[in-house]
Amino acid sequence: MTPRRVVQRLLALLRKGRLERELDDEVQAHLELAERDGLARGLTLAEARDEARRAFGGIQQMQERHRDDRSIRWIENLLRDVRYGLAALGRDPGLTLVAVSVLALGIGANTAMFSLVDGILFQPLPFPEPDRLVRVWEAPTPATSNSTTTATFEELQRQSRSFEALSAESQSTATVPVNGEPVRLNGRYVSADHFAVFGVQPLIGRAFRPDEDQPGADPVVILSHAIWQSQFGGDRGIIGRDLLLDNEPHRVIGVLPPGAFDRHRARPLDEPASFWRLNAFTAEERAASSHWLNPVGRLKPGVTLAQAQADVLAVRARIAPQIPAWKKDWSIRVEPFSLLLVGDRLRQSIYVALGAVLLVLLIACANITNLLLARGAARGKEMAVRAALGASRGRLVAQLLTESLVLGGLGGAAGIGLAAVLLELAVPLLPPLPFTAEVALNLRVLAFATATAVTVSVLVGLLPALRVSRGSAATALNSAARGSSGAHDGARRAIVAVEVAVSVVLLCGAFLLFKSLLQMQQVDIGTRIDRVITMSVDLPRDRYPSGNHLAQFYPTLIERLEAVPGVDSASVSGDLPLQGTGGENLRMPGSDDRLLVRFKRADDGYFSTLGIPVVAGRGFTAADRAGAPYVTVINEALAARLKERFDVANPIGQTVDLPALGFGRDRRAPMTVVGIIRNERVQGDLRVPAEEIAYVPIAQAPRLQIKLAVHTHGDAAAAVPAIREAVRQLDSRLALADIRTMEQIWEQSLSGLKEPVWLIGIFALASALLAAIGLYGVLSHSVTQQRREIGIRMALGARATDVLSFVARGTLTMVGVGLMAGLAAAAALTQVTSSLLFEVSARDPWAFVAGALGMGAIAVFAALIPARRATRVDPTTALRSEG
Amino acid sequence: MSTDKTDKKELLNGTLDLLILKTLDTMGALHGYAIARRLEQMAASVMRLSQGSIYPALVRLEQNGWIATRWGISETNRKVKFYSLTKAGTKRLHVEVANWEQATALVARVLGAKA
Repeated sequence: MTPRRVVQRLLALLRKGRLERELDDEVQAHLELAERDGLARGLTLAEARDEARRAFGGIQQMQERHRDDRSIRWIENLLRDVRYGLAALGRDPGLTLVAVSVLALGIGANTAMFSLVDGILFQPLPFPEPDRLVRVWEAPTPATSNSTTTATFEELQRQSRSFEALSAESQSTATVPVNGEPVRLNGRYVSADHFAVFGVQPLIGRAFRPDEDQPGADPVVILSHAIWQSQFGGDRGIIGRDLLLDNEPHRVIGVLPPGAFDRHRARPLDEPASFWRLNAFTAEERAASSHWLNPVGRLKPGVTLAQAQADVLAVRARIAPQIPAWKKDWSIRVEPFSLLLVGDRLRQSIYVALGAVLLVLLIACANITNLLLARGAARGKEMAVRAALGASRGRLVAQLLTESLVLGGLGGAAGIGLAAVLLELAVPLLPPLPFTAEVALNLRVLAFATATAVTVSVLVGLLPALRVSRGSAATALNSAARGSSGAHDGARRAIVAVEVAVSVVLLCGAFLLFKSLLQMQQVDIGTRIDRVITMSVDLPRDRYPSGNHLAQFYPTLIERLEAVPGVDSASVSGDLPLQGTGGENLRMPGSDDRLLVRFKRADDGYFSTLGIPVVAGRGFTAADRAGAPYVTVINEALAARLKERFDVANPIGQTVDLPALGFGRDRRAPMTVVGIIRNERVQGDLRVPAEEIAYVPIAQAPRLQIKLAVHTHGDAAAAVPAIREAVRQLDSRLALADIRTMEQIWEQSLSGLKEPVWLIGIFALASALLAAIGLYGVLSHSVTQQRREIGIRMALGARATDVLSFVARGTLTMVGVGLMAGLAAAAALTQVTSSLLFEVSARDPWAFVAGALGMGAIAVFAALIPARRATRVDPTTALRSEG
Repeated sequence: MSTDKTDKKELLNGTLDLLILKTLDTMGALHGYAIARRLEQMAASVMRLSQGSIYPALVRLEQNGWIATRWGISETNRKVKFYSLTKAGTKRLHVEVANWEQATALVARVLGAKA
């Protein structure tokens, strides 16, 4: 083909209308000329006209060939099919609206879900060469991870050869005056190398210098972009200014770029970190055995994880002599940083939710296929006419597929819009995602949505297209308007059975998760949940320079709080329930055997405020003050462990050896067990069973960072302003932070299970409803088809119940097969959900029965409407209308 | 569409194109009906040709730039397209004729040798 001709043919696409008209004119002129010649030969006008036509041959065939030859046919066809498709959809706006909305829902939900998968699992960490980022853990056992000590970290820094940069991270909070008001901010203590580890450069200002984390260096701080915007108005002049962190001036040297570090939170309910300051280790910290640092590192180029692992193990072996004997079996482990961010359970939940939403889409497709099949039956005649006029089967299939592509295109476009809305609404409700996860409709997500829309179009269009185009002209044109054949109904029934089966799987999964959630809600967390408000306060070191100052301050604060109207009782402690707490070693005097226990500071009001009953001995009293004999209260779990491990039958009065964490001191002291209290849960993860806890009076182990718990008469949150005012009157520099009710804290610990429950629940419900609609469609169609037969039966004396059973028989088979297949599939899929479940077997019969009954009930309801219609068939009209 | 049909159509196309070019070369500008009549007169005994089939051939030739069209008035006072050979068309005709002669000579020789 000459290039000129290619251009001409493309141009012909645009000039289609004119070319068609010109051809018509030519044909007309040709026939007239031929007629004239015929008349001249003596034929009659009619004969001449016939003769001219015959000699010309088939005009339409010629026109088709003309189009084939002058233009690029498939493009022309496609354009026409799209136009035709739009017109066909416009002719049946009800069906189009249903189909497009169902597709939009399916594609939208999938797109939203995929953007979560993409943001959390697929996208690499938003740092350069993220594969080189690692986390270093101490490993007391192969399965556990622990922070490290100052000494070990410094040895790693000095001796290891694998790291380009290594930083030790730990939590930090600071009270900062913002517009004259004290505000407590979360932050991090890090090493000077910290941002080199992540490969992040400040947006303005500079990063830390290598010598700035040495003792004696001027204190400096780097701010997050978010806090710079919200609290400092995005003022570039902040660089070089001094910021008072706990009343100590820190020079602001940089502001980070927006993004990941604006979302870096230590715990789910916390505010994200907003400042980074440097660890300048004191001599005391170097000597202390406390495990408080979390090292993050960037491997040197080309260094593998295994090499780094061998390297740190070698360092560990060299420093072994300095490590206490009881930790001699501990190991040290290098892990990819990404592993820390996305745990197995989160990964599992995301995949399960994605699987569920894909199943919903599948059902949505099945329903639309059913709709199109039903419509296809009605269009059999149209197709037969087209086939008779010379359209090939491929051509008809192409046309029908184009129609479903138009449908898919509309659904996809609406779905992408819906996904944007869903993400906007849902992301804030999700449990905190890894701070590195950027969830957005990026190009990959859009590509996914497009691919989904196309796949869905072909899926929903292919079967109806093949079926409709297969119909032979003769039968379609001759048969009375009976519409579908038996085979049609067979396919539609099979589709409904599959829908039912898939819905049953989802319903069973939803019930299993729901039962897990119920079980988890039943977990006794051991403390009062309602009408308790909690908060954090950091006391400034300059005003409370010693343990004695603190020990005197605590009772004063409690006195003020309890004077607030509406407050029943208040307490000061080192940690709050479900919010985690540190671990310490407990020893029996005279033995070197150690027991790792949770260690909590509490005042005399802690147990009563949180409703933790004392089961033996006593709780703390005001007499357990600084200087008084050391005492401890233990929980039942620890009492049981002492009995099992050290054969202590009655721990009350027993002496145990615990750290006497004074203010700036670090030594151990014998303490007398004075009481046993019931277990409280200290970990947010309720899957972890109750742990052993030792409590010490906070007056004997004072600290600057304290937690308050306040029990109120009425609504806990309503007491906050008065509490704030009481604290302000006591010391105007104190900032209340992390203000939450116990209820919020408890709700948070259900997170990670709650979200999958409602997600899968919604998906299951949606799929069950879609299956019901599918069932309804098929039944109501077949009742319409069988009106004549029903009419005959009724004319022959069948009663309404007979008709009902006639209609129901098919339905029962369809639903029954679906239910059985669904239960079998659910039983086979237990591995998928088992790790998400809590104290529920993955084959819990209760959930399976509920799933099957639920689907059965929905199916019966959907079947009832058309079945009732069948019983109302009037034999005379039914027989007459189709006779 | 079967291959068999395609082959036939293509053979016909080539032949038809050549015949139209030759007709226009001999007769000058003609409208579609005149071309069809002329072909019919010459070929009626050899092959059956429906008159309409020249129109796809004409659009093909026109798109290749071998024939040109202009609007004129037919004997029945209708607007109609007149086709005439272009320079490129004349060249093309020579090439086609040469090809044809070569091909027929070859076929004749082969058939002759067999006989």
